[in-house]
Amino acid sequence: MSSRVAITGIGIVSPFGRGREAALEAMRDGRSGIRCIESIDTTGLNCRIGGEVPAAAHQGMFRGVDRFSRFALLAAEEAVEQANARGAIEPERLGAIIGTGLGGCETLDGGFRRVYKDRQPRVPPMTIPLSMYNAAASAVALNFGAKGISYAPVSACASGAHAIGQAFHAIRGGHADAVLAGGADAPLTFGIILAWESMRVMAIDNEHPQSACRPFSADRKGLVLAEGAAVLLLESMEHANARGQAILGEVAGFGITSDAGHVTDPSVDGEARAIRMALRDGSVADNEVAYINAHGTATRANDLTETAAIKSVFGSGAARIPVSSTKSMHGHAMGASGAIEIACSLLALNDGFIPPTLNLDKPDPDCDLDYVPHASRPARVPLFLSHSFGFGGMNGVVALRTIHGL
Amino acid sequence: MTRAEIEQKLIELVQKEKDIPQEKLTPETLLADAGLDSLDALNVLFTIEEDFHISIPDDKARGIKTFGDMVTVVQELLPSV
Repeated sequence: MSSRVAITGIGIVSPFGRGREAALEAMRDGRSGIRCIESIDTTGLNCRIGGEVPAAAHQGMFRGVDRFSRFALLAAEEAVEQANARGAIEPERLGAIIGTGLGGCETLDGGFRRVYKDRQPRVPPMTIPLSMYNAAASAVALNFGAKGISYAPVSACASGAHAIGQAFHAIRGGHADAVLAGGADAPLTFGIILAWESMRVMAIDNEHPQSACRPFSADRKGLVLAEGAAVLLLESMEHANARGQAILGEVAGFGITSDAGHVTDPSVDGEARAIRMALRDGSVADNEVAYINAHGTATRANDLTETAAIKSVFGSGAARIPVSSTKSMHGHAMGASGAIEIACSLLALNDGFIPPTLNLDKPDPDCDLDYVPHASRPARVPLFLSHSFGFGGMNGVVALRTIHGL
Repeated sequence: MTRAEIEQKLIELVQKEKDIPQEKLTPETLLADAGLDSLDALNVLFTIEEDFHISIPDDKARGIKTFGDMVTVVQELLPSV
């Protein structure tokens, strides 16, 4: 049994490109990765922008898998390399827990397009194994020889956070020495974008992609869909120390709750309970929290509910906690977003700054916290929270220590 | 199409799916021994159906063990001229 769980590897594939450096630079510069979608023909869509992973970041790599699995594999590879993990962890004690919201959309969309649009009689035989929700987890396990606890948490936008939280508990509970944990999604397909358009929560501003996502701003327009993956190598502190591996951070606590309320309207109670549970799980005092990476989708429902949840937990102390939404830069990558946000936060905070909330031009009077508007801010943050609140009322909050808090 | 022609076409289609040398694709070769696992074989059958515009029923597909079996099944299903 290990009471502490270290982070020894971070890998990320995002709208900023492949790798940690691209993400770190974007966070530091406060630069948006949202642009016009190029990977599909967007004729017929109202929304033609997204947080798309640039083609050069992944094309031709890890062939023969769905796009979301390819992102997961590239992120896992970067984490494994940083952690010097090849051959360093007993395969039976290594897991792969990769969450996703929507699984292999590219494969499904392509397969069904053949039948419904092109009137072809059949769908390719790999459709099921490529599109299943655990395809990315399976691909990671297979490629990196993880023979221990492996599966895919599926909880919409909380999937990535749940993957990292569950992996943390698995290691702390003695079920594994290390787990490749994170999230992956690639929902920028014609059918999925249309489906989101129907929900009328999308920021449709094709002329100004970089300013379309405006969390906590009174002139918010809604969310911007995105894609990508982030994978952390979580490892028991004893195991990492025994092999002399550099520690990049620590998962301190995890909170996981359900609203059991409304399928798409978030609840202050469900979110607040997840925050409190994460603090309690990690024996973290309220005043230790020095930054919150918000779920921050830039929908009115989220921004107000999340702000109220933070205030209900921290009371008057909420005013001193910087809260930012990096979705303003990378968009909402569904089940990958929790993992991407944890990775981006760790990279930025370890480097000595808090990532900003872009486009917060008109502060919403109902959102009155410190949202770190416009520009990154130099700061020494030992401990932070990452919020993920998914459709279905499923919440995940992860408490993490940076290198400044070890 | 003659059997030889079908055989040649199938070698092409198999190789499109997986890099298998032609000498491994004799009529007696078990597909598994040639390096086609069960999923590879499914993909090959799919490509064959697309290319020849035929539909291979499951019971016939399950009976295919060797490359020769594959040629026979395709030959049987092709409309006779």
